[in-house]
Amino acid sequence: MKKKHDWVFVLPAILVVAVMTQVPFILTIVYSTLRWNLARPDMPIKFAGIDNYLYFMRIENWKEIPEFYSIVWQTVMITGLTLAICTITGFLMSLLLDTTVPGVNFARTLILGPFFVMSTASGVIWKTTILNTTFGWYGVIAKALGFTSVDLLSYYPIPVIIFLFVWQWMPFFVLVILAGLQGISFDLIDSMRIDGVNWFQATFLIKLPMITNHIRVAVMLGLIFIVKEFGLILVTTAGGPGTRSYTLPYAVYMEVFNASNVGRASALATMTVAMTLIAVNMLYRSLKKRSAI
Amino acid sequence: MNRTRTIQEVQRSMRLKKIFRVSVMSAIIYAAAIIYFFPILYMFLSGFKSEFQAVRPSFVFKPTLETYGKVLSDPNMYGYLRNSFFQVFAGTLISLVLGMPAAFVLVFGKFRKRESNEKIYMWFITTILLPPVAVLIPLYTWYQTFNLNRTPLGLLIAYIGFHVPIVVWMLYSFVSDIPVEIMEASEIDGCTRMQQLLFMAVPLARTGIIASGLLVAVFIWNEFFLGFNLTSNVTATLPVYMARFREQQGMFIAQLSASSTIAILPAVVLGWMTQKSLVKGLTMGAVKG
Repeated sequence: MKKKHDWVFVLPAILVVAVMTQVPFILTIVYSTLRWNLARPDMPIKFAGIDNYLYFMRIENWKEIPEFYSIVWQTVMITGLTLAICTITGFLMSLLLDTTVPGVNFARTLILGPFFVMSTASGVIWKTTILNTTFGWYGVIAKALGFTSVDLLSYYPIPVIIFLFVWQWMPFFVLVILAGLQGISFDLIDSMRIDGVNWFQATFLIKLPMITNHIRVAVMLGLIFIVKEFGLILVTTAGGPGTRSYTLPYAVYMEVFNASNVGRASALATMTVAMTLIAVNMLYRSLKKRSAI
Repeated sequence: MNRTRTIQEVQRSMRLKKIFRVSVMSAIIYAAAIIYFFPILYMFLSGFKSEFQAVRPSFVFKPTLETYGKVLSDPNMYGYLRNSFFQVFAGTLISLVLGMPAAFVLVFGKFRKRESNEKIYMWFITTILLPPVAVLIPLYTWYQTFNLNRTPLGLLIAYIGFHVPIVVWMLYSFVSDIPVEIMEASEIDGCTRMQQLLFMAVPLARTGIIASGLLVAVFIWNEFFLGFNLTSNVTATLPVYMARFREQQGMFIAQLSASSTIAILPAVVLGWMTQKSLVKGLTMGAVKG
């Protein structure tokens, strides 16, 4: 039979993906055990064991906890809060859009817009035309109302970044959750109306449990995509002030391009990947358990 | 006087109530949509301002094409646009050419071990989970040593590696929709796998192919992390160009608006076109599985 030929169809895809993703990832893990600094060609590359990891994680003095931990905390907070806010506002927005008023499709299309905007463009647009204290809408409105406008990006970097992430990613949640809501059959909605179910019961006790799977998908994909967001942070705060809005991918970038330290950067990258996979796995299991009940 | 209402009166009051409810709902929905879309709308409009008019945020201005003309005649912008178009076309096309046969044999193919199909499919899915930061450092060092960052092919192969799994994942659900019976029938009639793929699977899954192609095109068009780190001045793409505006505090707002409009327009339009099939591709495997 033609059994042998079937491999030929899938092999090129496997090869390209393996060479461009798996091999580099394994190399990253290997690099993370090396003392390798591009800025110091005089120092030979040599095996360093877990020194690179210890450099970030060792706590010598409990009064000065290393920056690494605050960067991890910032990453967790930015990702977690973005996902939570996206889920809640996305659900509410989907409820609003799950109606049949004239022109609702146009409104859906407008709300979907920000999802397709490249993150660097949305970052510079928000930064210069809206959040800027003298030239942006925020500055002008604050002045008209008699406030002195503070530079939000340097005083509240993390809330602003979360806000911008939500602006960009909520449309995706709406897209998926709305698909779930519209999949609920009309019979069910009719019988709810006949049974005299009020709005609150209909929404939170009947519709919400029916679309848990859609919410799960949105949160999972959102997590995968939001963890790797990098452009928006680079253009809005550049990690600053100081390292207050660093996330792990940004820290890896700085470690390679500013410190030129391949070994340490690889250790950070490996830890980032490990944490991402653990988070995805935990989320997947917890959500699966809950939906099984 | 306690007068009972006629049926007509009741109907009319109900109709009025409904009209009232619909108009309130519409007002809320339109307001929400416009507020949400405001930054993009304002950006689009500011592109038609002259630099002098753009300094103050306002909706009152004399529209001019001067800024768009200036941005489009900038040779820098032209280079970035060309690089972006090259990456999108070549990247999407090659990802589809590699991904479609893979998705096809993962659904209909027979391997020596029966569970291989499932296993390979799951392997593709797990590579989607891998953040680009995991591969950045080795790729960066390779590209520096072999000068791959000076040619567009370097970034292109990285993009193909990252987007083939997405194509496989989305197409898998579309290919699974093809009835097994017609594939078996064609096999009895003596079709080879290649013929099945080209003359049956591709035409039958064409909506899926178009949808995943457009999605991958949007992803590549917007991709920044690899585009920024694995390119040099001559090979950088549009998101990298947009990132250069980050240092200009409130200067050249009109130019910024016009450039970002050009940069985001293709992706937003493609995205709007694909939204229906996007939902299907993204949720089908996951929600039912």
